[in-house]
Amino acid sequence: MSLLDILFLGALAVALAMALLGGTRPAGVIATLSYAALLAVLALMEPLLAQSNAAIASSVKFQIIGEEIGWSMNGLGWFFALITVAAALFASWFSSGQWGAVQYDMRRQHVLLAVNVFAMLVLLSSQDLLGLFIGWELVSWASFAMMTQRGGAAARAAYRYILYALAGAMAVLAAIVIIRAHAASFNFADARMAVAALPSATKWTVVALLTAGFGVKMGLLPFHLWQAPAYSETPGASSAFLNAISARMGLYALIVTLLQVIGTDVLTNLSVQFIWLDARDIIMWLAAVTMVVATFIALMQTDARLLLTWHGIGQGGYMLLGVLIASPLGTAGGLMHVMNYGIYQAALILSVASVMHRTGTSDLDRLGGLITRMPLSYVTMLMGIIGLAGLPPMNGFVSKWMIYKSLLEGREPLLLALAFVTTLGTILSVYKLIHNIFLGQLRQEHWEIREAPLSMTVPMLLLGAICFVTGAMPGLTLQLVDRAQAAIGVPLLAHHLGGVTLATGSLNMLWVVGTMLAMMGMGAVIFYLLGGRHRAVHQYDNYAGGHFLSADLRYHFSHEFYPGLARVIGPWYRGWIVRAEASLIRLSDIIGHAWRGSFDAGITPLYVMAALVAGLLWVRSAGGLP
Amino acid sequence: MARSSELLVLPIALPIAAAFLMPVVANVQASLARWLGIAVVVAALGVAAMLAVDIAQSGPLVAALGGFAPPLGITLYADGISITLLIALLAGGLLFWAASPGDNVRSHVLMVLLMGAGSGLALSGDLFNLFVFYEITAVASYGLVAGRGSGAEAGAALRYLIVGTLGSSLALLGIALVYASTGTLNLADIARLAPERLAGVTGMAAFLLLVLGFGVKAELTPVNTWVPEVYATASARVASLLAGIVSKLAIVIVMRIVVLAFPGEQARELLLVLGIAGVVAGEFAALGSATLIQALSYSSVSQLGLVAIAFAISGTAGVAAGLALALHHALVKPAFFMLAANWRGPIDGLAGAAKATPVAAAVFVFLALSIVGVPPLPGFWAKYLLVTAALAKASPLVLLAIAVVLAAVVVEAAYMFRIAVALYGQPAPERSGPAILRGDLARATLLAAGLAVVTLTAPAVLDAIHRMAAVASDRDAYIAHVLPERGARAALSVSVGVDQRTERSIP
Repeated sequence: MSLLDILFLGALAVALAMALLGGTRPAGVIATLSYAALLAVLALMEPLLAQSNAAIASSVKFQIIGEEIGWSMNGLGWFFALITVAAALFASWFSSGQWGAVQYDMRRQHVLLAVNVFAMLVLLSSQDLLGLFIGWELVSWASFAMMTQRGGAAARAAYRYILYALAGAMAVLAAIVIIRAHAASFNFADARMAVAALPSATKWTVVALLTAGFGVKMGLLPFHLWQAPAYSETPGASSAFLNAISARMGLYALIVTLLQVIGTDVLTNLSVQFIWLDARDIIMWLAAVTMVVATFIALMQTDARLLLTWHGIGQGGYMLLGVLIASPLGTAGGLMHVMNYGIYQAALILSVASVMHRTGTSDLDRLGGLITRMPLSYVTMLMGIIGLAGLPPMNGFVSKWMIYKSLLEGREPLLLALAFVTTLGTILSVYKLIHNIFLGQLRQEHWEIREAPLSMTVPMLLLGAICFVTGAMPGLTLQLVDRAQAAIGVPLLAHHLGGVTLATGSLNMLWVVGTMLAMMGMGAVIFYLLGGRHRAVHQYDNYAGGHFLSADLRYHFSHEFYPGLARVIGPWYRGWIVRAEASLIRLSDIIGHAWRGSFDAGITPLYVMAALVAGLLWVRSAGGLP
Repeated sequence: MARSSELLVLPIALPIAAAFLMPVVANVQASLARWLGIAVVVAALGVAAMLAVDIAQSGPLVAALGGFAPPLGITLYADGISITLLIALLAGGLLFWAASPGDNVRSHVLMVLLMGAGSGLALSGDLFNLFVFYEITAVASYGLVAGRGSGAEAGAALRYLIVGTLGSSLALLGIALVYASTGTLNLADIARLAPERLAGVTGMAAFLLLVLGFGVKAELTPVNTWVPEVYATASARVASLLAGIVSKLAIVIVMRIVVLAFPGEQARELLLVLGIAGVVAGEFAALGSATLIQALSYSSVSQLGLVAIAFAISGTAGVAAGLALALHHALVKPAFFMLAANWRGPIDGLAGAAKATPVAAAVFVFLALSIVGVPPLPGFWAKYLLVTAALAKASPLVLLAIAVVLAAVVVEAAYMFRIAVALYGQPAPERSGPAILRGDLARATLLAAGLAVVTLTAPAVLDAIHRMAAVASDRDAYIAHVLPERGARAALSVSVGVDQRTERSIP
């Protein structure tokens, strides 16, 4: 029994335990401890992976229709598995106390979380294309179950998701079967040889099918419509899990297929005439456009959850960009961003969830001033948004810096410019997020609000702290990234605790953070040397638009937050993809109606006559004459 | 070892004889007649099991009735596929016995007749007998659809009868053309003569007529117009039998005709076109259906379309894929119908069904996942076999078929999970979800359990299907089995024992 077997069994055991005990009081604690145990198993796997750079095989395998399906986890899968299990740990920690107690059906949430973890572990351990597809479908349906549990709007969003996911899965299946037809095996290595020998039209088909199919889960444009509503409607803790890792399964599968099975050399050789772009460029541009569009859609959201989930779609673009650059720096940046994003996004979603838990809403127009009532949630969100915006000293800065740098070195100035534009949009929107929830005047109906209980704030703050620590010491994360990079076959990036040393410019976060803290300290020293004069003011003693506000003049500016910006970019939101989706639905309704009408026994003789005439004509014309 | 060829006639003869006896016995003692019917079907099932063992051990069985050697006389032929269908028919008949003790003995007679004639369809080795049994099956099913004779039932049965008769006459015309071209009705003999006599325009015309004729029961487009009305009106058990099993008997006849008499590409392309049309028609019609039973009926059309696409692909791989799809559908659709019988009315009205009967809703979701084709459920492997088999013959039409099959999965999920979401929805205040009859739920659960068993034993089941398909797709072996002396040139190359790995045509 290998460590991977233990991991699988462990995940199944958690699901089983939650099915039995999920409704009881200590269920959340049990789940948290179980995920910690799974994390320990993953930690035990690290030295094995580091030693030999080989995969750890599971002893479960079976033969079907002449194919052998087995599972083994390599460094790449391990890296994603680490984030998956950690996300589950924090999600169940968050729900172990009061939050879980007020849920409609916490048992189901616990079970579905465990099932999702199991499905993802299976996907992340796939060692051939068929296993990848099976894992992919498992993950899709497991997340469908997780998203649909609340019914109503959640069920509608989940339903939309599963249709997108299945359409993607069918594209993937088509690609896999095409590769299988040429490779005579599902094995990644055989597939790689076979793909290299394919005619270029088939290569294009395979690349397009795989990118579209797996891209659906990443929310890659134009398949992004489902993600934000589906993730947002899921209950807080589960939503944090989905946001942190679920969409990354698409990235994992794209890395496996585009980088390992197809290979960047094949992608760059697939060029389009006259526009100087190759297949890799096209996908990178897709990623960049996704990044920009999703971020600016996020900017316009008025619901905190939607704002964050739209950012998730955009951040996915960064990761794909970094990975596709395929330089050591780029892949390390992209992969590191997966982990960094998972950490700060989970912190942000949990912080919003605790605000929702107390106030009952995540509507950015109906909140404000909560900093005095929920300071810990505020601190968490502050740390999270600094990470999301990619500013030092948080971890998001490091990975984004690496991606920018790799774009620069990869001579992609236009993509770099798009990345900067995106970062601008991110900064603007995260300010809107924290301002509308925590800053400004407190609303009267929130006067009695208290901070969320420790069972919720501790995991949140811990995530925020990790966000800072891995920002100040990115070497900790880069060490884990090494395992994944080694598995993809990209040369490892030389790094140290504080960052990376490159010939073209290095980054040492220890210095950056140290300098920042020193400056702040110096500022404080100067401030106090100058007398340290300060006056505490009441939260209502404020001003807006040049006017002083006070308790009798209540004003919290949140509705239509960036009016000037909205006037400029508003007309860009033409919603043509939304309209295309709606048209497709209507078209299939019309076709369906027409087909239903055609099932009429009275017209059958006419059909038969038509079929006979057409059939006989065809028989004659097709050269059937003796 | 002595073969049990002489037993082949029993599954046909016993029920038909009983069907004639039952009205007479009923005059003496009505309950005795009913028990006689059931006992005969049980006996036939026993015989079928013995035959199955024999066939599994030593290959296809051939019986020449009355001692006339083929091609004269009546020939019965049974290979793995026929015997599997036979067992499915008889076991399905017992599970969905569409007559209750209170009914008139007439409906019991019709059930027994359906069993006898269906066995004939599975076992006949010549076209004329196929036609006769096809007609008897048809008559029995008209009667069963008419049920107790309410207005709606009578109307549905009448329209079914009209379409069915149209189909039968087309089939008869096709058989006449085949007879005129070859001078024989024995399938093996036709197969022997087919390459020279049936390859021309006449042969293809005959094929067109035969496919449209047998296509009525096989729910092939465009002769499936009776499907939605009949399934929505007839009792759920009758619908289960027709959609689950009788349709498979008919589509397998079409497969035999293609394999044996029309091995050319043109006939296959024709079947492919009809299959694609069926999938498109069925899936889109099901999308947005008002009621569950309607959606299931259209889904049945599309599933049979999938089977037709598979059977249109030459070689063992195509037959295996078609067989897997057909058997999967035979297992799944009756279970669906059992649930749908209780969940009538508009789909939105089903809210709360999951709360009322969690098991039923869980069974529904399980079946839906399998029919959509989610790995590792059997429905996935069936569709996977279809796609791989099709891709091996990459002609433009086949590529279109693959695209249609894959797109159909999404449409299928769209309506199946629209229903599933409705089942788990909250019922309107002060209304509880629809209840479900215990017997129906038990049957659906039994079939779902069967599906679960198949999921766990999928490798073995798929191997068995592949072996059966290898036998059924081998024209020369069929000729050699039925006509040993004439088919001597076609060596007895294939039998059950051949390592199927070498037979595989999946690349």
